[in-house]
Amino acid sequence: MPEFSSAKWNDRYAAHLLNRAGFGAIPQEVAAARKAGLEATADRLLSFPLIPVDYKIPEWAKPDPERFKKLREYKNASPEERQAMQKLERQHQRDQLIELRQWWLELMRTSPFPLQEKLALFWHGHFATSIQKVKSAFLMWQQNDIFRKKGAGRWIELLTAVSKDPAMLIWLDQAQSKKDHPNENFAREVMELFTLGEGNYSEKDVTEAARALTGWSLERGTQQFVNRANWHDPNSKTILGETGNWKGEDVLEIILKKPQSNTFICAKLWEFFAGTPPEKETLQNLAHQFSQAGQEFRPLLKAIFRAEEFYADKNLNNQVKSPVQWLVGTVRLLDRELPSSQVSTQMLRTLGQDLFQPPNVKGWDGGLSWINTNHLLNRYNFSAALIFGEKNVMTNKEKRTRPRKVQGPVRVESLFQEEEIKSVDKLLAALDFRFTYGTLKPRQKMTLKEYLAAQKELESEDILNGIRLIMSTPDYQLI
Amino acid sequence: MEPTFKTRRQFLKTGVLGGALGWTVPSFLARTFNSLATEAANKTQPSTGKDSPILVVLQLAGGNDGLNTIVPFNNDLYYKARPSIAIPQGKVLKLNDEFGLHPAMSGFKELYDAGQMGIIHGVGYPNPNRSHFRSTEIWQTASDSNKYERHGWLGRYFDNACKGADPTVGINIGKQMPQAFASGKPVGISLENPEKYRISNSGSRGEGEMEGKDSMFEKMNEMDENGDELNSGSSISSLSGETPPESRSLDYLERVALDAQISSELILKISRSSKNEVTYPPSQLANSLKLVARLIGGGISTRVFYVSHGGYDTHTNQALSHERLLKDLAGAVNAFMSEIKLQKNGDRVLLMTFSEFGRRVAQNANKGTDHGAAAPLFLFGNKVKAGINGKFPSLVTKNLHNGDLKFNVDFRSVYAGILEQWLSAKSDPILNGKFEPYQIVG
Repeated sequence: MPEFSSAKWNDRYAAHLLNRAGFGAIPQEVAAARKAGLEATADRLLSFPLIPVDYKIPEWAKPDPERFKKLREYKNASPEERQAMQKLERQHQRDQLIELRQWWLELMRTSPFPLQEKLALFWHGHFATSIQKVKSAFLMWQQNDIFRKKGAGRWIELLTAVSKDPAMLIWLDQAQSKKDHPNENFAREVMELFTLGEGNYSEKDVTEAARALTGWSLERGTQQFVNRANWHDPNSKTILGETGNWKGEDVLEIILKKPQSNTFICAKLWEFFAGTPPEKETLQNLAHQFSQAGQEFRPLLKAIFRAEEFYADKNLNNQVKSPVQWLVGTVRLLDRELPSSQVSTQMLRTLGQDLFQPPNVKGWDGGLSWINTNHLLNRYNFSAALIFGEKNVMTNKEKRTRPRKVQGPVRVESLFQEEEIKSVDKLLAALDFRFTYGTLKPRQKMTLKEYLAAQKELESEDILNGIRLIMSTPDYQLI
Repeated sequence: MEPTFKTRRQFLKTGVLGGALGWTVPSFLARTFNSLATEAANKTQPSTGKDSPILVVLQLAGGNDGLNTIVPFNNDLYYKARPSIAIPQGKVLKLNDEFGLHPAMSGFKELYDAGQMGIIHGVGYPNPNRSHFRSTEIWQTASDSNKYERHGWLGRYFDNACKGADPTVGINIGKQMPQAFASGKPVGISLENPEKYRISNSGSRGEGEMEGKDSMFEKMNEMDENGDELNSGSSISSLSGETPPESRSLDYLERVALDAQISSELILKISRSSKNEVTYPPSQLANSLKLVARLIGGGISTRVFYVSHGGYDTHTNQALSHERLLKDLAGAVNAFMSEIKLQKNGDRVLLMTFSEFGRRVAQNANKGTDHGAAAPLFLFGNKVKAGINGKFPSLVTKNLHNGDLKFNVDFRSVYAGILEQWLSAKSDPILNGKFEPYQIVG
């Protein structure tokens, strides 16, 4: 597989890699990556530790021994009491969900190893599980933690951990699957959506795998995985051509022995990072390398980031920023904090990406489907809110009822050098480099220049308006 | 159909707006207000009285309890299954000897008596799913219950039958586009408030505006002339999840940006040019329908409106909450249909309700009902086949499926009827299969 020639490495390619492997690369990071070179940059991106640096988890992110007791109390309560308790519980979970989303967004914004979070975001979309059914922010966090810690490791380890993950057991009904009535939901999706893709297994394989998976369940009290021997169907099954008294673990191993298990996940990862489907030869190469390296993701990612095709014209500035990419990237480029957890949640909801609440088990469609007229108008308006301060997106009610520290306008002094702020031409170049990595069209630059030149003296406000103009372009929606 | 502007390029070239395609500047509004409102009115009102039908889809989100909406007041099994929440025979608004409306629904009763309401009993689908979101998805995408479709049935209608239409061909009133609108081509828009469906004025200068902002946004968002000529037509034919390899995402984004400009102008003007002439009850649903009526009255060329009404998930103490919902629903729909009639648009508007499922026949221990299956569906308009249609599902225990009503009419047959008889579109390609069209128009 042709590798990208290090002689061609420059700011633009460095920005491309940093943005695909992370969120909103700022000029200093681009410059550092350019100087370090592709090889060193890719290595640094991939050198994240198992447990993130400064990993502070939400204080409620642990099993709640009271939860089971609470659930039992519901059963004994009168209808009115139960209603009140359930309402309280729903509110509680909603509050935690909003906190959880902000917690993850904050990791994306600040982690020295953004690829770890980017990869977790990929796996969240891949194993798309929703709190709508799981109904526990803690269980959603626990699944997210798997993506962070095992997302770059071996496929079998990740797949096994996710398959036994309580949120997944609930999400695809595996927790209730018994030998008399095996539930096929997980058995089907594990082959169709997670590992092989449609057409690479038969209906018979689904029913047989469902039988082998019976017994994998959830201990409600401890909220942990349990293997219930008396629910398991011990008889012989034939899965993807192999016959035996298979158990759950065997199903996953049999699946990952199929050659399609290499091509399927390689193609999906490639597309997530590169933006367009891989050429046939590239995919064959990646799948071969992946298989040879014991189906480990870290070397695969490195191969992707070094591939010539990754830097091809068709992949540069041609990927629509997901709402998460847009929000986290924008606050990084503006050198500001995230808006409040309520506002972040609201923005992402409006833009179509509720974290921990994907639309269905297929995850977000992504790509161009992130953008429709309403989303685009909202992105333009939200960027104004992020530039000029949060007050702009708060309702009057919020301003009254949520007295808290509200962020003001972005400080241009922290974005640009003094000399850049003084000269229109230098400012123009700096704006273009910081926000669009030097890809503004001549006509857009002219418009921006006209605007900036028309101001008698450049005030912060004028510069912020200039940023707003750049963010209100189709071009800014792409990386 | 008669899109207001046949192509986007034509729109750009129309003299009405000239070079002043802007966003929000008041002077610009004042200048073009009259001409555009007239233009819109001329395009639709006189010429399309009968050949431009409009569909309004009203989603009752959460799973409406059909049995307490259309009450089988002579059926002992009904009263036996629901000892404390059944609607007493003496209270129902009788439609015939068997069925009556919930007492809060005088708004529906009036429409029924005027021959403007059709009821279809027992609508559902095979192998029903009791999950809200999954069943909603099934209704929205018109898929089999074991299949996942990416695009919605209305989106496929836009793709198949509304080629070249401007983005306002489908309007959802609400934040998030319903999956029913998801389509290969990016048509259809979502809005809550026409005054907010545009670039906001807020900025560092408070309520003031950035000087000359409108024309600058325009210039920053313009597509390159050459690129546009080169790619017009084919390049946006297959846009969904993945990026089409032969096209740049930027082409697509530039088009959406232009669509946003066109539609936000159009909607603001039309909604401002048209007033509501009927009093609506004070509710969110009524506000949504009010806006729809205003847009229709203002002559917008939209074919499908989508509105939703939430809260139907009545697991506990349902009597009061369900009564409030149904009163709200019947009142809002009644006001809407009256206004449409007043506008003399009665012959070209059809409103259809749906809910992801009905509810369990037997009440639960909390004086509520749990997720069920088949339920009645309602249609409104001058042209609908009025009265009670379809076979009422049996309440006999052995005829139930896990305690739920069995469906007699596949919802996709209802869709097929609407597509064929109302929207004059071939239903097979839209529904991905052959469904016998149910008789919708009477």
